[in-house]
Amino acid sequence: MPEAPVLLVEDDPADVRLIQRAFGKLPDMIKVIRLTNGDEAVSYLAGDAPYENRGTHPMPRVVLLDIKLPRRSGFEVLEWLRRQTTAIKRLPVVMLTSSRHSVDINRAYDLGANSYLTKPDTASQLEDLALRFQEYWLSLNELPDLHTGPTAKAPR
Amino acid sequence: MGRIATASSHTPVNLRADEVFRRLIDSVREYAILVVDPDGQIASWNFGAERLYGYKSEEVIGKPFNILYTEADLKAHKPAHELEIAARTGHFENEGWRVRKGGSRFSANVITTRLTDDAGNLIGFGEVTRDLTEHRQSELRYRLLVEGVMDYAIFSMDPTGHITSWNVGAERIKGYAADEIIGRHFSAFYTPEDRAKGLPEHVLETAKSRGHFEGEGWRVRKDGSRFWASVVVTALRDDEGGLYGFSKVTRDMTDRKRLLDELQRHAEELELRIAEREESNAELEAFAYSVSHDLRAPLRAVTGFTEALAEDYAGSFDKRGREYLNDITSAAARMSLLVQDLLEYGRVSRVSIPLETVSVLKAVEDAAKEVSKEARERLTLTIAPDLVVVAHGRVLTQIISNLLSNAFKFQAKDVVPDVRVFAASLDSVVRISIADNGIGIAPEHQERIWNIFERLHDRDAYAGTGIGLAIVKRAVTRLRGTYGVDSEVGKGSTFWLELPRAQQAETRNYA
Repeated sequence: MPEAPVLLVEDDPADVRLIQRAFGKLPDMIKVIRLTNGDEAVSYLAGDAPYENRGTHPMPRVVLLDIKLPRRSGFEVLEWLRRQTTAIKRLPVVMLTSSRHSVDINRAYDLGANSYLTKPDTASQLEDLALRFQEYWLSLNELPDLHTGPTAKAPR
Repeated sequence: MGRIATASSHTPVNLRADEVFRRLIDSVREYAILVVDPDGQIASWNFGAERLYGYKSEEVIGKPFNILYTEADLKAHKPAHELEIAARTGHFENEGWRVRKGGSRFSANVITTRLTDDAGNLIGFGEVTRDLTEHRQSELRYRLLVEGVMDYAIFSMDPTGHITSWNVGAERIKGYAADEIIGRHFSAFYTPEDRAKGLPEHVLETAKSRGHFEGEGWRVRKDGSRFWASVVVTALRDDEGGLYGFSKVTRDMTDRKRLLDELQRHAEELELRIAEREESNAELEAFAYSVSHDLRAPLRAVTGFTEALAEDYAGSFDKRGREYLNDITSAAARMSLLVQDLLEYGRVSRVSIPLETVSVLKAVEDAAKEVSKEARERLTLTIAPDLVVVAHGRVLTQIISNLLSNAFKFQAKDVVPDVRVFAASLDSVVRISIADNGIGIAPEHQERIWNIFERLHDRDAYAGTGIGLAIVKRAVTRLRGTYGVDSEVGKGSTFWLELPRAQQAETRNYA
């Protein structure tokens, strides 16, 4: 079974390209699935049409989530995810946003974000961020089991 | 009210003249009239005496009349002395203390008269006592006072609300002369609406049941004009508790009412303005948020792709091409700085800054961490560790940081920077100074430098957005401090700020 991808939810095409460029420069290839709005992200994670086939739309290892998204904001996606009763609610979420507002930072953590990163100003800083992201979240960090389940019976 | 048995004399016509006289004496309330026999024992006692001295006649008849005297008078043998004079001269008048039943005393005017029979033999003494104590006198004084009061309408009413007395204040405030209004019902002063609501009756009922009524409201003058009245109505009751009328004190509060209404209007207007301001603050907040989010995104793209071009397509650019790429990058960097500074300026102007006790040394040290390592080696701090000010830690750090950054920036090319930060307590304030050995500021520019976007030098010479000192100005003002600069061209500048000194006792948290 191939390594699960990283799900990138980001609407700004320039940011997407720069992020993909930075990931492309990493020593190890990382598969990145890109979605452009909050509704798509929820559909994808829920396995709703058109994403019901997990063979072609595999469950991600980590979500890179922007806050300001069309339709459903990153906060709403996060809130939805943590509200789920199946194991997917454990999915690690790393916020990747341009907001340095403490209001946003606190809200993200309150809603259950695992990490909060701000988009750097330069391409080289972004490459650095991609490298550290890979090292920490995809290598050092132990990832949860998203299939077997429920601590769903655990108290909400 | 007669106190003598009149069972045998139902028909006044048949009364003998001395009997009528006796009745008169007996029924006089305001004077104590008593008869003392030649031995000094009380022989008769009228109703006024009962009221004044508090004894019933059966309690005192046959008792020595000196029980009505004070201890001191007794020691001075005054009772006997007075009778003696009266016996000799026929008459003795005196003012002094008399003692009531129970021992309380009152100031009295006493006239003692010798009583003789037709043969001229002494048969006793008549004593007429008038109470001179405060409340009796004050009643008179009170009436005079009330009548003369101009600023208050003071009048009395009978139990049904018909006016029985009227002072000059009432005439002045309400416009009626006494002879026009006495006898009329006091509801004349009320507006038709209040009359329809039964307010006059309510006022009397309240005064009757609670003792008094207090209120404010519009009242009507004789000429129909209205005034705002503050009213106190008091029920008047006699000793037995029977209601015999009301007193009413009315004050014309129209001016004060207008003032209060005006104040109220101002307060409301102010609240409205605050609400508007809060609204515009919220808009600013949203604007700043959008700036930080939306404006930075394209900047990031410009910077990022320029870098990507320079890196990924390095071979495709000649020297000039690479210079252009550099120009794009530095322009984007400058714009990024501008956005950042503008946001900071907006934040300092907008955000509520709670004041707390802040250690000056800590704030300066935090700011020093933000300058480069080389600069830090050229920086001297001379600040007592226990120096504390009323400020906000992060904001104060921001101020110092901006001033430090300027101190190191505006240096001549060939000079080794020497920047000193020192602080001193002056009375109720602490002055924090940041002194440099930089290029200095000409006197004619020392005002302008605090304005936003104000720059004295072109960008090639000294980089910057022209917002740094504007942030300092705003921030110091928000901290309720003062700021300034002392500078001489070529010698350097000393920027200073003064903040309220905090209580030393609160320093423990920061020690």
